[in-house]
Amino acid sequence: MTELIDHLALGFSVVLSFENVMLCLVGCLVGTMIGVLPGIGPLATIAILLPITYNAEPIGSLIMLAGIYYGSQYGGSTTAILVNMPGESSSVVTTLDGHAMAREGRAGKALGIAAIGSFIAGTFATLVVAAIAVPLADLALSFTAGNYFAVMVLGLSLAIVLAGGSLLKAFCMLLIGVTMALVGADPITAIPRLTFGTNVLYDGFGIAIVAMGLFGIAEILRNLENPEQRPFAGDVVGGLLPDRNDMRESAGSIGRGSILGAVVGIIPGNGATLSSFASYVLEKRISRHPERFGKGAIQGVAGPESANNAAAQTTFVPLLTLGLPSTATMALVGGAMTLHGVVPGPQVIDLHPDLFWGVVTSMWIGNLMLVIINLPLIGIWVRFLKVPYRLLFPMIVLLCCIGIYSVNSRPADVMQVAMFGILGYALFKLKFEPAPLLLGLVLGGMLEDNLRRGLILSRGDVWLFVSEPRTLALLALTVVVVGSALVPTLSRRRQFLVED
Amino acid sequence: MVFVAALIWFGAIGLRVGELVNFGPGALPRVLALILGAAGLGMFLHGLVQREQEAEPLVLAVRPPAILGIAIFLFALFIRGGDYGIVSTPRLGLMVVGPLTVFVAGFATPEARPRELIVMAFGLTAAVLLVFTDLLGVPLPVFPTRLEDAIPPSFGTDAAVRALYIVYACVTAGLYTWLFDVPGRRRD
Repeated sequence: MTELIDHLALGFSVVLSFENVMLCLVGCLVGTMIGVLPGIGPLATIAILLPITYNAEPIGSLIMLAGIYYGSQYGGSTTAILVNMPGESSSVVTTLDGHAMAREGRAGKALGIAAIGSFIAGTFATLVVAAIAVPLADLALSFTAGNYFAVMVLGLSLAIVLAGGSLLKAFCMLLIGVTMALVGADPITAIPRLTFGTNVLYDGFGIAIVAMGLFGIAEILRNLENPEQRPFAGDVVGGLLPDRNDMRESAGSIGRGSILGAVVGIIPGNGATLSSFASYVLEKRISRHPERFGKGAIQGVAGPESANNAAAQTTFVPLLTLGLPSTATMALVGGAMTLHGVVPGPQVIDLHPDLFWGVVTSMWIGNLMLVIINLPLIGIWVRFLKVPYRLLFPMIVLLCCIGIYSVNSRPADVMQVAMFGILGYALFKLKFEPAPLLLGLVLGGMLEDNLRRGLILSRGDVWLFVSEPRTLALLALTVVVVGSALVPTLSRRRQFLVED
Repeated sequence: MVFVAALIWFGAIGLRVGELVNFGPGALPRVLALILGAAGLGMFLHGLVQREQEAEPLVLAVRPPAILGIAIFLFALFIRGGDYGIVSTPRLGLMVVGPLTVFVAGFATPEARPRELIVMAFGLTAAVLLVFTDLLGVPLPVFPTRLEDAIPPSFGTDAAVRALYIVYACVTAGLYTWLFDVPGRRRD
């Protein structure tokens, strides 16, 4: 326990420098803004801002990127409540009761309870991260190469099973991603692989480039297709602070949402979105007045909003302790760490304790900022909704170009962004999820490395490699996960989740 | 049924990778390519088997991707310039390329309004120069080669950059009043 307090104290001493507080603030504000705007998500934003952070300190840039991520969860709920349009996928369920509350003239209360719930959940999740990180990292350090390989296989399959959409397509994307990770110089022999004789590909595909193309540019193209509809936002917000009655009604939901979110967030897959759905279903089921849901039940806002925020923070756990990004956004954050010379994995806590605890505590500081600063600023955020997209996207394009060019000063990188953008658009049209591709790209190298090392240690004996107890257990679990997704009843439930 | 055609395409990609990987320490690439080829084939078959009603026609918009692609390529080609085999391009720097990219990219939407875009092109470039080059110190080529040579050393490049974005900001303000304000007032 004292150890925990020591760690947190170290974290606070790192965060509370002027520069880091400012970066945290910037991250939270940018995150809220893009969360409010339905066209841009945290994934695209992080992809776009990633190259810009190269010039900053690793700690500061991670604090900022994390701020963007959880900030967007706050922003998403604002749009959901006020204009009945989810700013982010994780706030889809908030539209149900949140907007119903807004129509009853209780928009302020809905926003208030969402923010307070998110803050409580964020505090809880920060403690969870701090408490389980060390044991989990210790466990990870005892892993052999074979174990690691199996953990990655399990993580990747969980991610594609829980992500929704066609399993086969997700699997194909994942394979392409892993294959792309192998492009370039072979890590052991330095022989160029799959470069088709060009120098451009000798260094492999840059994660930032691929991500920016597939998520940044492709998202613009997707948005351009839908004719613009900027909804009208009511100006009447009403009192922001929930009264004692509201608090009493929603306290249980916040608590349950926090725990649910924290747990779901750790599991690979789209934790934030999934946990908000799960929380809504849970609240509805245990409520004494299930008929109130959908008509402005405060629990229907408090629960999911707490859950998605808690999950947004615990998604960092697998990345920071195992080096295993569980979502595409985390893959990008992992990429950012690597580019700053910090290899994500169990060593992070030991080698860079200031970075690890700094980021963890910055989450709490960021949540505090979001509650204090954002509630009064809601009017401004809503005004952002009125900026037409036709003015927004050329700005994003220019930022993308400059961002990616400034990394290596290579025009070829910029061209690759354009190509990946068009590819991403085509993939979207063909209903392929690009997220598994990015996960594969980030993990592919590690996957191959561990497989090779594992096979070398077992002298090429595949059976010996697989039969190590922990490897075997993890691989068996993978089979169960994938198998269960193929079972008809469960796959129907997945469908249901997707359509919902 | 275009969907099915797309699936064929996908399968082909998978197979082609499969045949090209037979070099180097390529055990994993080869295995992956095999699985990928199989999965692509599976998907192709699924596409053949699925009923007509289930298949969704594939509608690709051509204009936005093409224009955005051109805008980004323009940026890539002229920011530093260089020899690209067939064409060699001069270095134009952010000063020229910035507004150009914004302006061209803006046309990707059917709702594009040239007047708005031209104002924004200069305004954004000014803002970008301020934030990236001046405040963050990101090394970006700002001026065309000729112009940079023409800057007197006593003046210094940093000061020139500052002068440039101030000028651009003024241009933006000027264009804004000229293109929007005056007609607006007349309408009143």
